[in-house]
Formats: sequence, structure tokens, C-alpha cells
Amino acid sequence: MRILLDHFSKSFGSVRVIDDMTLEIKDGEMLALLGPSGCGKSTTLFAICGIHKVTSGRILFGDRDVTNVSSQERNVGVVFQSYALYPHMTVRENIAFPLRIRSLPEAEIKRLVNEMAGLVHIGSLLDRRPAELSGGQQQRVALARALVRRPNVLLLDEPLANLDAKLRLEMRSEIRRIQLETGITAILVTHDQVEAMSMCDRIAIMNNGQIIQIATPQEMYRNPRTAFVAGFLGNPPIAFIDAVARDGMLAVENADIRLPIPREADRVPEGTPVVVGIRPENLGTEGDAAIRGRVSFIETQGRENLYDITLANGKVLRSIQRVRDDVSLHDEVEWRVRSDQLFLFAQNGERL
Amino acid sequence: MSASRDIVEAAAVPAGAAAASAHPPRWRAGWLNSSRGLGLILLMPALVLVVLFFLMPVVLTGVFAFTNMSTATGISGGTYQVTPGALRELADRHGMDELAEKLGQPSFVVDEQGLKALEEMGIEPAIIADLREGHLGETHASRREFERMLRDLPERPDTRTVKRISGEFSRSLANSRFSSRESLLAAAEGVDPELTEEEKTALVQATYTGWVWTADNFRRMASSRDTVRILLNTIFFVATTLIIFNTAFAMLLAITTHYIPERPAGIFRIIWFLPRISPAVIYVLLWKWFAWDTGFLSAFLDNFGIRPRNWMLDTAANAWFFVIVINGFVGASMGMVIFSSAIKAIPESLFHAASVDGAYRWQQVRHIILPQLKWPILFVTCYQTLSLLTSIEQTLLATDGGPGGATEIWSLAIYHTALNNYAGNLQYGYGAAMALVLVVIGIVLSLIYLRVFNYRALVAKPRIEL
Ligand SMILES: Nc1ncnc2c1ncn2[C@@H]1O[C@H](COP(=O)(O)OP(=O)(O)OP(=O)(O)O)[C@@H](O)[C@H]1O
Ligand SMILES: [Mg+2]
Repeated sequence: MRILLDHFSKSFGSVRVIDDMTLEIKDGEMLALLGPSGCGKSTTLFAICGIHKVTSGRILFGDRDVTNVSSQERNVGVVFQSYALYPHMTVRENIAFPLRIRSLPEAEIKRLVNEMAGLVHIGSLLDRRPAELSGGQQQRVALARALVRRPNVLLLDEPLANLDAKLRLEMRSEIRRIQLETGITAILVTHDQVEAMSMCDRIAIMNNGQIIQIATPQEMYRNPRTAFVAGFLGNPPIAFIDAVARDGMLAVENADIRLPIPREADRVPEGTPVVVGIRPENLGTEGDAAIRGRVSFIETQGRENLYDITLANGKVLRSIQRVRDDVSLHDEVEWRVRSDQLFLFAQNGERL
Repeated sequence: MSASRDIVEAAAVPAGAAAASAHPPRWRAGWLNSSRGLGLILLMPALVLVVLFFLMPVVLTGVFAFTNMSTATGISGGTYQVTPGALRELADRHGMDELAEKLGQPSFVVDEQGLKALEEMGIEPAIIADLREGHLGETHASRREFERMLRDLPERPDTRTVKRISGEFSRSLANSRFSSRESLLAAAEGVDPELTEEEKTALVQATYTGWVWTADNFRRMASSRDTVRILLNTIFFVATTLIIFNTAFAMLLAITTHYIPERPAGIFRIIWFLPRISPAVIYVLLWKWFAWDTGFLSAFLDNFGIRPRNWMLDTAANAWFFVIVINGFVGASMGMVIFSSAIKAIPESLFHAASVDGAYRWQQVRHIILPQLKWPILFVTCYQTLSLLTSIEQTLLATDGGPGGATEIWSLAIYHTALNNYAGNLQYGYGAAMALVLVVIGIVLSLIYLRVFNYRALVAKPRIEL
């Protein structure tokens, strides 16, 4: 079901946490709400499921305005960050709870619970209590409980934050698999860009209660709208250096580096101070511009190495390349970068 | 890498040093150093206090329960007194009517003892000789008969002498008092020389005024009609107060305050806490003023033409109403505080989850709050049963068991039996026996509660599997 947040704002007392957000989640889509801690992701989620009342604006499920509908009536499935399983109930009772409350016939409940347990692979755990489950198993139970009522939308609030690295990887693909199998509309709240990029159809990136950009992961990575977005996506992250437009080129102060202005941003007035963003994978052996510096750090990652290059003015750029034997620590190097892969931002962070 | 280095280092330590570290040096080995010994010493004052003030009263109650101590017997030893009551007891309880009658009647026996006394008094030897020869061993049922016999003696003693003589042969035990068992029995044998062992024992028992060991208290309790009435009163009082106020009402308060904003909830809680923190006397006095025949209730109802009266003691039903409400409000605050904090301890996300799962408030109460409050409910039920069973001050101050014993509960009955009653005979032994029964009931109830609520399952540690 399509979900629409229409000019939604939320204040706690005098503090405005969400300011005039408009966001559409398409039917059957999985959307990531990505942003740093405290930017208002959970608040948005709680507004969608009805736990928080909105201060202004509307929330639509399909064509139905649910702004003033109680959370009990919205039919939303939520997986909370702490899972919020009922500790005194068995796994079976936990999953059956939303159905029991709706007074479904016992036989029907049984069938749906078993079906759901099969989907999330916890068929053998049904008679245990939450305290007797591992984190990953609890996660699956929470997912089953959220899905069993066939909700209009599935909301996941940092569902992987409490899992260890290996389990996180496993549950990442599990959640995506289940979402695709059920075809449910889902919103995933996370502050982990890898999670957002790997699991979701689209990403809405948030900062300070506002949505900065909504796009597919690829599009957002290739074409960030602001320096904040560019900085948030990518691991290892993008590096920024200050430069000034001079003689149709970008001059990096005190570093004897001149970069060509990327074609899509060539209307940069002479003398404008700009910020240049260079992704680590774009700095290496190929390109039409040269960057000189000294290798100040080498991090071995197995297949590839991560090199830190300190420029003459002290700024540090990162480069990720396959392991090279010809480069060692403290070497002076001159590496290349392709001008069409540079990102140019104004001082306020807007893309040029 | 580091593990192998550790091994190398361990091997490098000289063998002697390793041996030394395996055995602690002598000065550290004292028992004081073991945490057990030190712990015992530190616990000593507490242990002494526990024994003195917690264990001793229970033990003493148990001891007193098997005596017949009362104001009449005193708590030290007693004497042997042939009172009409003692004689009645001899007749009724031991079936020795004849003996009782004999001991109770004034009787005059001509015996050597009396004759010897006469000799010492300097009575004419001829009279003594007459008595010895003609009348030795005779028993006369009354003074008149005996004195007639004396006057008819050949020596014809004058009236004064007759009186002097008859005094010496009076062998009645009625209303006489003996300091020891032996003197009592000697006197009794004077009246009836053929006393059997059985009769002696009965006589000693019936006339002893001090306390004795006995299980009579329990026999009396088991057969007394009052016991049943007081027991039913107590069950009614405890069950009603516990269910209506200490758990249900407390739970209602806790749940209500959970769902209203924090500030009003706090004020609300404090209001219900007032009965608990105000002194019992003042709290009950306020109720009495409220229910007095010139108090608030009467004055208010007077406006509607209802006759003023003491509403608290007017009828048994009224008395019960006030007793339960007064005790209930005191007890409710404790349940409320415990339930409130238990509800607060439930993570808020559970309520959020329940809301989106479709559960409205009363369903949240039923499915989320109540099941998770099993342990606090057990605790409050258990604790409050015991405290209601033993609670006394509010009821004592409010109705003192009235009207006419309608609200006489077990603890109050103990107080009235052992410490304060109108008859003035305080029956410590019987009171102690009643108290002992209360203690036993309390212990049994606690065990049952723990069983019912499956204590083990409640405190079992969750098994976490990773
Ligand atoms: N009940 C509340 N009362 C007042 N302020 C709140 C409340 N809930 C959240 N906030 C504030 O709203 C802002 C956004 O909170 P929110 O929980 O939505 O952040 P988030 O993006 O989910 O962060 P995180 O990633 O740490 O969970 C925060 O600054 C927080 O302090
Ligand atoms: Mg959050």
C-alpha cells in the first residue's frame, strides 16, 4: 500500500523535531530512512504507526487519511529496535497476539502462525519464551509478529542494531527476502548506510528533521545532492578539500594542485571558493588530473589497500586500490583522478 | 603468540617461588581471614537482636500457650486453696462429689491430735479421759451436735470450756489455705484418713492457685463457640479487605496512574498514601469524627431528616463497612506503590508494540500488565494477608470489636483475652495459645501462596541461548 506523509511536522513541546516533511513510499517498495542519530527517524516512524500524534500535516495509507486514526486501527506492523517481545508469552503466543486481539478463530490463528513461523524459519522455537532465544531468533519472532496480521506497511526501527556483525549480514538478506516474498510496503529506519544501500529500493536521507534527498542507492551514490549526502554514503567515506575557481580550473591552496572543473558544473564564477569531494575509488592510476602527496598511512584490507595521502597543505585524501608493491609508507606519489568523477559543492554544502 | 610467551614466563619462575605462592603464608591463614569467620562476627549483633526480639517472642508464645497462666494464677508459683470453686471443680471434673462434700462441710472429729491439744491447753484431764474412752474416732457433722455431745459428758463442762474444746476438733478445710502440697494433704487426711492416690492428685490439682502446664487451652479453643465466630469474622475481614482494597483497588490506582500524565499521577498517589503515613490514632479519630452521632455524616444526613446516630457502631454491617474501609485504605497504598513501580518497570516499547498490535488499554492491562505483575501480586497478597491477620490498631481504635463482638477479629480477641478485658481476669495462657494458632495459620498460608504462584518458576533464571 502506498504511504504518503503530506507536509508532516512534529514538535515535542516547543522543540520542532520534524519540519514540514513530505515523503511518498510506493506500494511494495522498501524505503530506507537514513540519517544520523537524533535526526528524527524514529519520530517519523512513530507518527506513521500512530504512537505519536502529528503536530500538523496528514498521513495517508493508500487514499485513506489516517492522521486521526488510533494506532490500534492502522494495521501497521512494527519491529522495534528492542524487539519488544512480550516476555511472559511463548513465541507462538507472541506471534498470535495481534490475531487474538482481532478475535480471529483459533484454527485460523494456528494456520497463520505456523505459516509465518515457516516464512521466518522459527518453526522449531514456537514453545519457547523470548528469554530463551538468541538475538537473531528474537528478531525473527518480532518480524513474524509484525507480518502475521498482513499489515498495510511494515516499519523496522533499526532492526539490526543489536546483532553481531555476522548475524547482521544474515538478517539483512533475510529481511529483504521476506519483504520481497510478501510484497509488503516497508520502511527501514537505520543510520547504517551499508544497510540502507544493500536492503532498500530507495533511500530517503534525513538530517535535522528534514529529508535531504530521495533516490535509489545507485543514483544517490553517483549523484549526491549535497556534501552531507556524499559524506554519508560510501565506505571508506569521501574526502573533501577546499579549492578556488581560477582560470577555468580548481586551484587547491598551498598544494600546487590544479583540477579541471567537471563538465556539469562548469559555470563556476572566477574566484568562487568551493569544496571538492573525491571518492577513494576514484583516486588512483587513471584520470586527467594529477594529485601529488605523500603516503601517510596504509591500511591492509586483503584484496585492496586503503592509502591515506597527505597533500602539501596538510589535507588528507583517501585512495582505495588493489594491493600495490611499488608504494610504501612515506613515498611521494603522484596519482590521477578523473575530472568527471569529482563532486563540486558550494561552501554551504549544495552541489554545483 | 602471547599465550606461548606466558608459558615461557611461568617456566622461568624458580620452583621454590611457585611452591610458596601455592600455599598462602602462615599469618594469612587464620580463620578470621576466611570470609565465613569474619562474616559471622559482623553478623553477631544482628543475630543477637534477631534471637532476642524475633525468635524469643515466638518461642515464649509457644511456651505460654501450654500453661493456664492468668491474672488469677499469676506468673510465678501459687498456693493451695480449698475454695468453693476448687471443691466444685473436684466434684464436676473429677466426679468426687463425696470427697468434695466431706472437705467442704464443717466436721468435728475426735482424734488424738485434738486430745493432745486439749492437754496442752490445760483442760481437765477427766474430760479428756472421757472423750478418749467414750468417743475417740467419732465424727460429728455440725458444731451443734458435737457441742451437745460435749455437754452431755459426765464431767458436764461449762459453756466456755465447750467452745474451747470444740474449736480444737474442727477439721473442716473449707476456705483454708496451705503453702505446700504436703500440708494440704495432711489436713485432708485429717478429715478423711482413707484418701486414695487418685483423690490426692485431684485435690492438689483443684486447689492449686498457681499456673500449670496444660493443653487445655487448645481443647477449650476447639470446643468454644466463640472461636468459630471469631474465626469467621477474621476470614471475612481478611478476605474482603485483601481482595477489595489491598489488591484490586491498589491495582486500579496503579493502572489509572500509569495511564495519566506524570504530575497529576504523582499527586494522586500521594493522596492515597496519606492514610499510611498518618499516625493510626489520628487517622482513625478522623473517621470517628466523620461517623460520630454529632459528626459530619450525621450532620449532613440530618438535612434529609435522617436521625443522627453513631454510624460506625450503629449496626454490625456499618461496623464492618468502617473496619474494612479504614483498614483497606491503609493497605491499598502499599499495593499501589508496589504495583506502580512494577508497571513502570515494564518497558514502554511493550505498550507501543501492544498498541500497534491492536490492543486497547483494557486489553493491554489484561494481556501485558497483569501477567507481568504475578510476582508483585503474590508478594502483596502474601504480605497483606499476614499483616491483616495480625493487624489490630485500626480495628481496636475504631470499633474495639463492637457492636457486641460483631467485628471481633482474631488478633483483637487475643488482645482482649490476654491483655485487656472487662472481666479483669487476663488469660495469658489462653491468649498465647490463640496467638500461636495465628502464627501457625500465617506460616501455612505463606507456604500455600508460594505453591500456588509457583515460586520456583517465578524466580528461575532465564536460559539464554546464543
Ligand atoms: N518524547 C520526546 N520528547 C521530547 N523530545 C523528543 C522525544 N522523542 C524524541 N525527541 C527528540 O526528537 C529528536 C529526534 O528523535 P528520534 O528518536 O526520532 O531520533 P532518531 O533519528 O530515531 O535517532 P536514533 O538514531 O538515535 O534513534 C531528538 O532530538 C530527540 O531528543
Ligand atoms: Mg531511533
